[in-house]
Amino acid sequence: MSIVADGASPHDSPTVYFDGMSNRRRIVSLVFADALEIREDGAAPVSWAYSDIRQTDGPGGLLRVSCLSAPPLARLEIRDEALAAALTSRCQRLDENRVGGGSVAKIVGWSVAASVSIVMLVWLALPFAADHLAPLVPEAFERRMGEASEVQIKAIFGDGVCDRAAGLAAYNKLLKQLREAAGLDTDVQSAVLATDIPNAFALPGGKVYLFSALLAKAENPDEIAGVLAHELGHLRHRDNMRSMIYDGGASFLIGLLFGDVTGSSALIFASRSLVTASHSREAEQNADSVTIEVMHKLGRSPKPMGELLFRITGKEGRNLSILAGHPLTEDRLQRMTAEDRPPSGPPLLTAVEWTALKAICDKPAKK
Amino acid sequence: MNDLNWVPMHPTPMQPPPLPPVSAKFTGKRADFIRLVARGAGLELVTAGFYRFWLATDIRRHLWSNTEIAGDGVEYTGRGKELLIGFLVAMAILVPIYLAYFLVTIEVERRFKGFASFPLILLFYAFGQFAIYRARRYRLTRTVWRGVRFWMDGSGWAYAWRAMLWGFFTLITLGLALPWREAALERYKMRHSYYGDLQGSFEGRGWEFFKQGWWLWLLTPFALYFTVGAPFVYAGFKAVEWRWWLSGIRFGEVRLESTMTRGELVGLYWIAIGWIALLGVIFLAYLGVSLVLVVGVSGMTFAEFFETKAFAGSIPLIVLAVIGYLAFVLGVNLVMRVVLMRDLWLKVLDTVGVHNIGAAANVTAKGELASALGEGFADGLDVAGF
Repeated sequence: MSIVADGASPHDSPTVYFDGMSNRRRIVSLVFADALEIREDGAAPVSWAYSDIRQTDGPGGLLRVSCLSAPPLARLEIRDEALAAALTSRCQRLDENRVGGGSVAKIVGWSVAASVSIVMLVWLALPFAADHLAPLVPEAFERRMGEASEVQIKAIFGDGVCDRAAGLAAYNKLLKQLREAAGLDTDVQSAVLATDIPNAFALPGGKVYLFSALLAKAENPDEIAGVLAHELGHLRHRDNMRSMIYDGGASFLIGLLFGDVTGSSALIFASRSLVTASHSREAEQNADSVTIEVMHKLGRSPKPMGELLFRITGKEGRNLSILAGHPLTEDRLQRMTAEDRPPSGPPLLTAVEWTALKAICDKPAKK
Repeated sequence: MNDLNWVPMHPTPMQPPPLPPVSAKFTGKRADFIRLVARGAGLELVTAGFYRFWLATDIRRHLWSNTEIAGDGVEYTGRGKELLIGFLVAMAILVPIYLAYFLVTIEVERRFKGFASFPLILLFYAFGQFAIYRARRYRLTRTVWRGVRFWMDGSGWAYAWRAMLWGFFTLITLGLALPWREAALERYKMRHSYYGDLQGSFEGRGWEFFKQGWWLWLLTPFALYFTVGAPFVYAGFKAVEWRWWLSGIRFGEVRLESTMTRGELVGLYWIAIGWIALLGVIFLAYLGVSLVLVVGVSGMTFAEFFETKAFAGSIPLIVLAVIGYLAFVLGVNLVMRVVLMRDLWLKVLDTVGVHNIGAAANVTAKGELASALGEGFADGLDVAGF
């Protein structure tokens, strides 16, 4: 039995067939036999098996179908509603391979799974990777990195290395005691830089810089010793390397989310700051532990360092904590106070040496 | 494939030359599109952005399939999954490059002065241009009309190289060479574009573009100085560019012509700017209300609240601000997609005329599909191109 769908009044709602080989627009008539027959005047009929016919995207008011066994771009466009319905009723698998609909739940499910796994990677796998990869980085490479950042630092803060002889001797004496107590070898290099910013930091490859403004605020050698011990702690833990691996990995993983959605950069920036700050706080805490350990070993108290920091920053306030790269100063002071012990060892510097150290940046007697 | 002596294989019914141009028509409803992008924006939020590949695909499917040229609808055959795979492959390629870039930077900075690594950014510019070419190629090969697809050959790297040279010229002429850059790059793209066996070409001239847009060049410094002016100058530039670009497109003997006036397009940009400004005001008002609420609940005075730095870390305030920001971003995305994609698309279709469509009446299918790698790069590097 076959229903001949009359050769579509061409002006009204013609059925159009494109054979996928040329773009010639063919006005056709359809015959519903065992398979769909597409007939064009003066051409051999084309036959499409009903089970191979699939609907493709098309504008409203038009049924556009393709056929799995035909050229991939062959299209049949039916404008007549009754005819479209007649074809639809015969093609059971019309909607297979179509986009949209049920696949959304799948996409959402997989995306949520991917996001969760990214978050897990950032929270759990990355710190682990950073801890275990950092020691594998060759020291030569780390030193090169340090040299590169040194060039930048000197470009920002100026090249004013303080080297007044007496002060330098005192500084080196202090550093040597701390270095030995911290169990680091002679690769450690250190200097005082003349700048107005009260700070100190460690560079990869064993360099520690103390800024003169911090020295100026210090009231006794133990305060500076605590700060230097903290920086040595960063060196010992290879924190530069670890945070580089961690921050780089976190940036990459978080960058996978959101991509180029407009307005996403702020989101990426915020989540990255949150994550790296938390990692950095942990590293700072561990470096503080080194201060405590070293100062105790030398028979001195770590408390003066906490006091020095508090003198510089003042009370920081509870609420800032989640975005801060350091633990709050008041918490650090509290921790150092808890570890306070009466001195059992000799002072790290004599009064004369301390005065000389304080004057290490003074110009006139530059050698 | 040579458009100069392209001869129809069969004698096609010859139309007399002075036929009026065929117009293009859009049959989609605005409400449908708004629903599509609103739902898509929500899904983007839920999926932490991963839905962007499918949303981009759905938007294109909607725009393409509702577009009729000479009575026959266009079809987009790309899939979201292809974009996702393209993105992942692009990431797999970019990650080692980022790492190598990082190592080279260290070495360069150590040997030379600090911050000497700037020229390496050129490498990423080249990648961006490559991405623009390959992304266009992907979109074109997913575009089907009358059962025959568009396609592209040519090389993304050859294009990137040209774009770099022209970019350099543009830089040293302070932007004056921009029209000639656009013309040269579009000529390359269109020369390598085909519809079946019909080769494309581009007839827009840099000089034409320059004549229509030179005054914008004069305005640019002021616009950059008074930041508010920048979107308006940009809108003016886009208006000139669109019309010039459309009118230059050829496929064999088929010519496009745009009658779009500058005012029509600038109007669209103004609508978008207006909506975004409105959303911004609402966002700020919302922030203000949140602040008042949070301060009120905390029992502090405003002065105390700011002095103690409590405002920077107040968790309820941060949560409220983040929610507000997300809503704002979703709103901006919605406006941009509806006004600057759909409405712009309509405006383009409304004003475009296709001349001599008869020359495309019997085109033989040809050309291979291209991968979505370029789209992936474009996503990973955050470049946009057309």
